[in-house]
Amino acid sequence: MEAMRILMDEHQSLAAIIHAIRYMIKEIGEGRLEPDHKLLQAMVEYLDAYPEKRHHPKEDEFLFGPLKERTPEGAEVLAHLEREHAEADARIKKLEAALARYRAGEAGGCAAFGDAFDEYAEFYRNHMMTEEREVIPLLIKHLTAEDWARADAGFAASRDPMGGTRNASGQEDFARIFSKLVAAAPAPIGLGAGPYKDD
Amino acid sequence: MTTETVHSNAGAAQPVLEVKDLCVSYGKVEALTNASLTVGEGQIVTVIGPNGAGKTTMLSAIMGVLGSKGRVAFDGTLEVVPEVERMVARGMNLVPEKRELFGEMSVEDNLVLGAFQRYRMGKRDHAQTLEEVYALFPRLKERRDQAAGTMSGGERQMLAVGRALMAKPKLLMLDEPSLGLAPLIVREIFRIIAELRRRGVSILLVEQNARAALQVADYAYVLETGQVAMEGPAHLLADDPRVIEAYLGFGKHQDMLST
Repeated sequence: MEAMRILMDEHQSLAAIIHAIRYMIKEIGEGRLEPDHKLLQAMVEYLDAYPEKRHHPKEDEFLFGPLKERTPEGAEVLAHLEREHAEADARIKKLEAALARYRAGEAGGCAAFGDAFDEYAEFYRNHMMTEEREVIPLLIKHLTAEDWARADAGFAASRDPMGGTRNASGQEDFARIFSKLVAAAPAPIGLGAGPYKDD
Repeated sequence: MTTETVHSNAGAAQPVLEVKDLCVSYGKVEALTNASLTVGEGQIVTVIGPNGAGKTTMLSAIMGVLGSKGRVAFDGTLEVVPEVERMVARGMNLVPEKRELFGEMSVEDNLVLGAFQRYRMGKRDHAQTLEEVYALFPRLKERRDQAAGTMSGGERQMLAVGRALMAKPKLLMLDEPSLGLAPLIVREIFRIIAELRRRGVSILLVEQNARAALQVADYAYVLETGQVAMEGPAHLLADDPRVIEAYLGFGKHQDMLST
C-alpha cells in the first residue's frame, strides 16, 4: 500500500503549506510581519501545481476509479470528492484573484485574501478528512492486490516534494521548490531567509 | 508484555547496530526493560511511542550517556559498557532532543566542533565535510558567522544535525527532531532525513510524530512503558489497526490547518 503512504504524505505537505500561508496572513494582518507577496504567490502556485494538478488526478485514476469498479459502497462520497477535484481550477482562480487584488494594494485586500484563504483551507480540511475517514477504509476493504500494485506504481511515478518530484515535462523539481518555500518563510514557520526570490 | 513482530529486522543486511535486552533503571524504577532492536546499514529505523515510554532513555543508553545492562554491538563490535567518547570515535552520533548547541559561538564554530573527535584522531578532512554540510543546509552557510543562540528553532535543529554530520557518522541517532517545529519545517527535516539515507547514513530515529516517522522509515519499533511492544517494516506497522488507533488516527490535519 505504498500509494496510501504517499497519499498521506502528500496530504501532510499540503497541510503544512496551508498552515504556513494562514500563519503569514494572520501575522501580516496584525502588523507583526512585513508581507512577502512573492512568497505568498509562490505558495499559491505550489498549491496549484502540486495538489490540484498532480495529487487529485492520481487519486481519481488509481484509487477512486478502481474502487468504483469494485463496489457501489461509497459511491456518493466518491462522486462528491470527484466533483471537488474537478473544481480545482475555479478554486485556485478565486484564490489567485484575491491575492492579485491584495498585491495591487486594493483597500481591504489583505483581509479579503485572508477570507478567501480561510475558505480554501476549510475546504481542504474537510476534503482531506473525508478522504481519510470515509474513503481510505473502503479502499482497504475493497481494492485487490492488483489494484494496489497499479496504484503503488502510479503514485510512485509522480511523487511528492519529499521525493524530488519532477513534472511531466521534467521542468519543475517540487522538492527544490518546497525547500525554497521553507527557507524563505519567516520564523517560526520557516527558516526566515526571505524575501522569496524568483529563479 | 509480549513483543509482536510483524517481521523481524534481525535479518537486516549488514547490521550497524544490534541492541539486545537493554535495561535501564532510575533507582528502583525500570525505565527500559529488555529492549532489543537492530539497525541495518543504510536503513532508517524509527522508535515511536508515547511520551515517557523510554525512547530517549534508549538512545542515551546506546550512546553510553546512561548506564545500562544488556548487549550493544555497534559496527560488528560488542560494547560491553558503551562510553560516549568511544562511540563517537567509532562513528555513532546523537542529536539530542534539546539540540545542545553552544549559543554564543558562531554557526561555523559549532559545526567545526562536531569534527573535533575526528581531528583528535588525526583526520584533517573537516574543511571538506563542512562544505558537504553547507551543501545540505545552505541556510547554515548563509548564517555561518551568526551566533547559534540567535537562530530560529528550525535553524537550530538543522545546525544540530549538521554538527553531528561533521563527525561523518556511520549511525546517526536523532531524538525527536521535529519537536516544537512548525509543519513546514517538519516536512523539510524529514526530507533531509530521507536525503541522508540516500547518502548512505544509517539512522535511528526516535519520534512522537509517528505518522511522519513511519512514512520515512524502513523499519519501526513501538516502545511502550519501557518495552518493545511491536516491531515490523514501517509500511506494515503504518497499516496496523492498533498503530493507527493509538498513534496515527485519521483526520489529524485539522490540527495542522488551524493557526
